[in-house]
Amino acid sequence: MVKKTINLNVNGKQYELEVEPDIKLVDLIREKIGLTGTKIGCNNGECGACTILLEGEPVASCMMPAFKAHGKNIITVEGLGTAQNLHPLQKAFLAYGAVQCGFCTPGMLMSAKALLDKNLTPTEQDIRQSISGNLCRCTGYKKIVDAILAAAAELRGEHEVKWPVTTGEDVVGSSVTRVDGIPKVTGESKFANDYYFPNMAYAQALRSAHPHALIKNIDIEKAQALAGVLGVYTSKDIPGPNIVGIMPHIKDTPVLAGDKVRHYGDAVALVVAESAEIAEEALRMINVDYEPLPGVFSVEDAIKEDAPKVHEGGNMLLHRKMYRGDIEKGFSEAAVIVEDNFKTRMNEHAYIEPEAGVALYEGGILKVYTITQGAHYHRGEIAVNLKLPVSKVRVIQTTTGGGFGGKIDVSLQVLVALAAFKTGRPVKMAYSREESMITSTKRHPYYMHYKIGARSDGKLTAVQAEIYGDTGAYGSHGPGVLTRTAASIVGPYEVDNLKVDAYCVYTNNPVAGAMRAFGSPQASIAYEALMDELAQKLGISAVEIRRINGYKKGSVIPTGQVLTDGVGFMETFERVVEKSGFNR
Amino acid sequence: MYWENYYLPETVDEVLKHLKDSNGNTRIMAGGTDLMILVRKGMVKTQGIIDIGNIKELKYIREEGKYIKIGALTTHSQLAESALLKKKARVLALAAGCVGSPQIRNAGTIGGNIVNAHSAADTAIALTALNAQARIKGPEGEKEKPLSELYTGVGKSFVDPTKEIITEFVFETPGENESTAFMRHAKRKALALPILNLGVWLKTNSGKNILEDVRIAVGPMDYKPLRAVETENMLKGQPLTEKTLKSAQETIIKEIKPRDSFQGRAAYKTDMVKVFLARAIVEAVGDLGGRIDG
Ligand code: FES
Ligand code: FES
Repeated sequence: MVKKTINLNVNGKQYELEVEPDIKLVDLIREKIGLTGTKIGCNNGECGACTILLEGEPVASCMMPAFKAHGKNIITVEGLGTAQNLHPLQKAFLAYGAVQCGFCTPGMLMSAKALLDKNLTPTEQDIRQSISGNLCRCTGYKKIVDAILAAAAELRGEHEVKWPVTTGEDVVGSSVTRVDGIPKVTGESKFANDYYFPNMAYAQALRSAHPHALIKNIDIEKAQALAGVLGVYTSKDIPGPNIVGIMPHIKDTPVLAGDKVRHYGDAVALVVAESAEIAEEALRMINVDYEPLPGVFSVEDAIKEDAPKVHEGGNMLLHRKMYRGDIEKGFSEAAVIVEDNFKTRMNEHAYIEPEAGVALYEGGILKVYTITQGAHYHRGEIAVNLKLPVSKVRVIQTTTGGGFGGKIDVSLQVLVALAAFKTGRPVKMAYSREESMITSTKRHPYYMHYKIGARSDGKLTAVQAEIYGDTGAYGSHGPGVLTRTAASIVGPYEVDNLKVDAYCVYTNNPVAGAMRAFGSPQASIAYEALMDELAQKLGISAVEIRRINGYKKGSVIPTGQVLTDGVGFMETFERVVEKSGFNR
Repeated sequence: MYWENYYLPETVDEVLKHLKDSNGNTRIMAGGTDLMILVRKGMVKTQGIIDIGNIKELKYIREEGKYIKIGALTTHSQLAESALLKKKARVLALAAGCVGSPQIRNAGTIGGNIVNAHSAADTAIALTALNAQARIKGPEGEKEKPLSELYTGVGKSFVDPTKEIITEFVFETPGENESTAFMRHAKRKALALPILNLGVWLKTNSGKNILEDVRIAVGPMDYKPLRAVETENMLKGQPLTEKTLKSAQETIIKEIKPRDSFQGRAAYKTDMVKVFLARAIVEAVGDLGGRIDG
């Protein structure tokens, strides 16, 4: 392709570069100019992580050909302020806790700057409008809005943002400055996709074309022959057992699917090439011969006698029993019994940073820079599957743009390690948003049947529940999640007689795993609704029934553990009642 | 690789020359906010791009005689913030302010939005209510087309961006006793396609108690913005009363039959179209200082 000259001014500095005519602005900024503060969260104009100012206006640089900036002025997060001389917005973001994982921060700061450049007296509404194209999965936005208000006040010359935050020697009980805060607001933090090494190659995985199918043959010949392709690998190329799994006794997830695919996210082949584009082209040249199998897509179907089996051992991965007290007696003492069925849906973590990693194999040491919530676990899986001693594998957690439980499981770590191990080149692998959504673990969809009894004075006497969690194609944390649900089957309420049967079930759906609060939220949908119903039937208020049953010092939880210290439920509850004014 | 050539012409004549020389292999890009997605997904293939972003002569919003004229390269942000539109054709300013996000509105243009031919494009609903005409320049010279004739199928525009260019939209400036309103409902307040959007232009008598004329545009219902012609006819000449609104609501749900879609259920849309129609009329009439009698 004939290159073209582009002229532009970035953060006050003039650049003249020879680039491909189809390069996107975000890639030009990150890869040609080397300013990696501007992030890529979706490549689709939806998340705002790539926001920059073009002639002062915020735009999504992932949606722009670079030549749209020809002859123009650009400001990126690196142009806002430096570590030694922070812009009021940067100080305020740190002081107000508006920076958590930091991945949305550069884009957020750009949108905020554009607003304050025009309007130093914004209302909360103006601010919310100005950042409406920037998604954040960590903060809930409130802290960001507060930070922008505070920065506006400083810029108006009213009062300065309190900075630095840390007060005095005694850290306990006081606010402290985030240790990784400053680089997150200046754009200097290195997330996995921000690592570049000389001679770096790129890896991409071919994903299954079916939710459930046998693999008859994988023809990689054409892909291998494509110029720029360094290697194409399938399950046969994995030196070790080709299996991972976060729970030590449930290793059920192939790194590269060999004879069977169990959901759309399964990787069946890995391409390593000189560029991500060539790798993508090579993927399209791989021919996989599938024999589609009937699939199961709900727990109702998966537990039927004659259901297609996702794994050889059947679809029932776990039956966790939590029985205590005397359930018959409990219900016989009840004045009111309520009973119902509940269903919850799958949730996507949607951390703004998609999965990424870079691996290097040098001097017999395999080094992997990657997003992770479990570096040691990932190291172990890489070592086992590449048949390397653990001492030869290093996993370095890069600044991680949100995890929420979704970055504990192995995603691309073994794949990118394999790529470097086989080619001897530094290799980067970065998921697209689509790939992240297809492959990442979800919150377990639940099917629940509940029966709860209470005495006429409101005290719970018995809880019986059957819970089915859809863990998708692989176990991941499923058994742990279902066990946690059993242990918090009526959340923060005391009950002495209980019979809980929790089942973790395989289907051909996306894999479900750990997600914020790990199995507790699903149950709360059911028992909180039933608590309200009990209260209604007993003629007491919804607040009162919770006061009567809420955990206090000395309460016994379903596992039999006695709560002795730090039981904060009643205090929290009363505070909520007071603040919300709810009293029905 | 997306494309091999990239042109940045500064005049419409240069654009026409590039189009002619490239024989259908090259297409126009305005803001690029829709096109970039289509190209990335392989749904549009092109050898070259003619980026019209630098053509200053296509960026304007002005009043000329009886008309308001809008250059095709005007961004959604410029439409949303235009004092002229806010005062005289609010339906378009409001509609443009609902598109995507600030980032998308700063880049995306009204011309691009219309050529992308999404039937629920907010600006298309507004322009339909305003009875706008598009001016198109191509190899055979210049032509004018009413907005409603720019759609030839789902996502298909009459305008071929490898051959011709929309330069301008023109509509009659709403005058005395004329007013507009825009309603929109989506799952989120930003970055969400509409479940339902509705634009209204209307004209009352000087007493502001009789509806003399009205245009109602609704999306997303069909492959193009839908005009509720029967409802319009029913409303013409009617007194502005609750009773009139009620019968208009009954008429519109018979005339427009919303379907179940990813965005929302038919039953819900049916209820909402009634609510939106009444609200839009109340708002537009209220703007003129009139009100609906009980
Ligand atoms: S909006 Fe550009 S990366 Fe998400
Ligand atoms: S701090 Fe906003 S996404 Fe993490």
